[in-house]
Amino acid sequence: MKKFIFYSVLIALVVACRKDDQENFDGPDLGDSFGPFAILEDLTLNTYEVDFSVGQEVIFSMELSKNTNWVIHIEGENSGATRTITGNQRVLSLDNAVWNGGANQFPSFNLEKAYITITFPNEVDSPVISDSVLVTGLKLDQGFLITSFEDGLGATWQQFNQTTVTGTIQCDPNLAAKGSCFYSWNGTVGWDWAIGSVTVRPPSGTFGLPSNANNLFFNMAFKALENVGSQNSFILFWFDEDDNGDGVFDVNTEDRFVYEHWSNTSLDWDLISRKYADLKFDNDGNVQQTNGNGLTEPSKLISINVFFLANPANGNARAMADHLIFTLNEPYLP
Amino acid sequence: MKRIAYIWMMLLISQSIWAQDRKFQVNGDARGYMFAKNMLIDQELDSINSPRANYGHTLVDLGFSIFPNDNTEIISSFRIRNELGGFWGGGVSFDVRQLTLNGVAANTVKYNLGDIDIKMTPYTLYNFEEEGMINEAEIFALRREIVHYDMFYMPDNTWRMQGAQVGFGLEFNKLLKAIEFSGFITRQRPTDGIAVPERAFGGGTMTWKQNDHLQFAYNSVNLFDLTRTISDSMRYRNNIHTFSTQYRHSLSKKIDGGFDGEAGFSNVNYLNYTNPLAPAVQDDWFYDASVMLHFKEPNIHVTLGYKDVGADFFSPGAQTKRVNFNRFPGVFEQYTNDALGRPINLTDIINHNAGYTFQISERLMAYNAAYDNINPHGIATPNRRGMYLNSERCDSTKFKRSFIQIAQLFESRGMGTNLKKSFTSIGAGTDIAIHDFFGWKRELMLNLGIRHDITQRGGEVFEKINLSSTLVDLGLSIRLVDKLDLLLGAKYFQANGNEFITQRNVFNTVNNFQAIDINLNETTLAGGLRYKFSEGNNLLINYQHHQLTNKTTGGIDYGISQFNILYTLTF
Repeated sequence: MKKFIFYSVLIALVVACRKDDQENFDGPDLGDSFGPFAILEDLTLNTYEVDFSVGQEVIFSMELSKNTNWVIHIEGENSGATRTITGNQRVLSLDNAVWNGGANQFPSFNLEKAYITITFPNEVDSPVISDSVLVTGLKLDQGFLITSFEDGLGATWQQFNQTTVTGTIQCDPNLAAKGSCFYSWNGTVGWDWAIGSVTVRPPSGTFGLPSNANNLFFNMAFKALENVGSQNSFILFWFDEDDNGDGVFDVNTEDRFVYEHWSNTSLDWDLISRKYADLKFDNDGNVQQTNGNGLTEPSKLISINVFFLANPANGNARAMADHLIFTLNEPYLP
Repeated sequence: MKRIAYIWMMLLISQSIWAQDRKFQVNGDARGYMFAKNMLIDQELDSINSPRANYGHTLVDLGFSIFPNDNTEIISSFRIRNELGGFWGGGVSFDVRQLTLNGVAANTVKYNLGDIDIKMTPYTLYNFEEEGMINEAEIFALRREIVHYDMFYMPDNTWRMQGAQVGFGLEFNKLLKAIEFSGFITRQRPTDGIAVPERAFGGGTMTWKQNDHLQFAYNSVNLFDLTRTISDSMRYRNNIHTFSTQYRHSLSKKIDGGFDGEAGFSNVNYLNYTNPLAPAVQDDWFYDASVMLHFKEPNIHVTLGYKDVGADFFSPGAQTKRVNFNRFPGVFEQYTNDALGRPINLTDIINHNAGYTFQISERLMAYNAAYDNINPHGIATPNRRGMYLNSERCDSTKFKRSFIQIAQLFESRGMGTNLKKSFTSIGAGTDIAIHDFFGWKRELMLNLGIRHDITQRGGEVFEKINLSSTLVDLGLSIRLVDKLDLLLGAKYFQANGNEFITQRNVFNTVNNFQAIDINLNETTLAGGLRYKFSEGNNLLINYQHHQLTNKTTGGIDYGISQFNILYTLTF
């Protein structure tokens, strides 16, 4: 019995020296994820006038009581351009809440006031935070701009329009996908799909694009307004390459890569983007039969024909195109 | 000091008898199994998945014991399995189920090579039971035994491994009684030659037997990657060292007393890992001490203990779960028109449909908090401390076995908050020989088990936890006529509340919490007839209905009915 008592006391002593970790806990703080929502520091912007063309950015700063989903929505006063930035961190800062002047899609922002709202979709009865910033300079594009139709028709360009069609450059910053001007087709062609086209060429020679087709993307903004839909109207591109380098394209001996993009019914600006190397395939994925060397060689690109076609049975057709630009490594970011 | 060497037997071979005059012995098990299952789910919820599943097989595990000499035994077991419907050899498979070489070297050292079953202590190497049973009905236990047999989950909680094991002992006639040594080394994982190094698991025990009453043991297990099995130098190493003691002594003519204790530490190293999340070292310690009283009349054992297992105590051999809850069941794997993966339920575990484990996992495996939130990783579950009380009465005439299990545990370190969870578990069960009460000749056995678990945490609204669950097992075995039994079983499970499921990265570090609501009911009713041709030779025909109700938002209610025929023969 004595031994039993002795060892029982010994056990009790061991129990008495148990550890008790009051200071630390494992994992992230539950309060950061599941605690009550509150705004600990109000929204501040690093600037209220921003010139994106010189590399300035808008930095949103704010502190919340917990990690929760937040959505920063920015909308151009005149252009209607929008940009959404999302996150779920507790602190909004340079690390996660920066606007570089870009839009989610076309249209792009103009020189205008941009309205900002911040919402918290997972927090019931949470406030909507509002602010604004004045855009005094636009974001500079990264890439090889062919035309944004801001400087009118080029001397070497060529237009085709059916007799009943008006195809021309129009300027209205509230309508353009980027800047102020765009190319527009409007007319009724009851006898043919062809509505009109514009062939864009450099003043001389080629467009001066890099030779690697595998990381080069062609981009254009397109909006069909009448006679729309994936069975009704489309843009047909001809990418003509001067394979023999004589400064003239001969369709019988040189490569013409064709790509078509059908319109959608959203009536919004649509970003057409295609990797240049993929132009050797048609829309069904088959290798196109061309009359040149069959290689996609952007450095030899001599003209781009933008051709609008629409179903003649549907009456009037109307569409707009804007901002032809080549980008490296990724599609264009409006 | 006179030294006497003796053999310490470590491996029990069922149905085998060591006989010098025998050179060859055949034993084995045979099984025939057929089932027809029906998924019962609202047609609007699921109209794309097939609601019926039929399956069957016959198999023979043919075991051979060969005795080339007096000190050597070769055990082999071959499984021949035929899937019903696979005629002309189409569904036939042949597997080597066991290949073991047992022997005694120099009449002193016992060794086992090949497939070996190993167990040490609950904190070093221990194959703890799966969820969802507390003294369950025989009709369920018969089905569960099939799973255990196939997965080598032996009643003594061993893990089946492949490697080598040795053991020997020294006896003394002064100062101490004996010292026993045992050790093993097993291969857990082969290398892929590129990025996965070969992994081994080894360890051993040295037991110091002071006298008939007192003994001490040093236990060590180590899970480690072998160097130079890949070109990369990264390797994992987990060492667990414990000391255990056991004392037994007669306190009076009617009472025996004693205590058990084990204490030790684990040390985990991720050597040369390039992943910045890999901790340099993880170590922690534990202890578990208990006092035992044995009242000889009426044969009641009472154990009162206290344990403290550190939050960073990682012991893969003792914490690996049998059921992998990250996997989906083998039957009706998907349900609903969204083809959702169906979570494992309690009857999947009984019916051989769950994803079972047979390999030690260095990661703490996923678990279902509804089924077991208190010790989901076994007795060695990290971050638990508190008291427990177990009481068991055996060999009573009318109450064949009765037990009470109570535990009050707490976290030693908070999870996402400084506040700690508390865990309360109360369980009890009994087997009642009703026929003894009434003096009937025909056997009528009732078995009952119930467990109620509560997890709680206070604090702010967002961190509060209140989760309770109740498991009830009820079974009845009625002898209708000689050798023919009517078996009835019911299993009821209910869980309600909320919990924050701990999510860990590959290094067992907590990196997030998933808030879940639980409102679950599972009911399983089963009835069948068993004809006992002889001991180990049974035919069971039974019907079972399982209904699961999940009342949480988006929860799916469904049921599974099952008719099956099971024939087992051990020879």
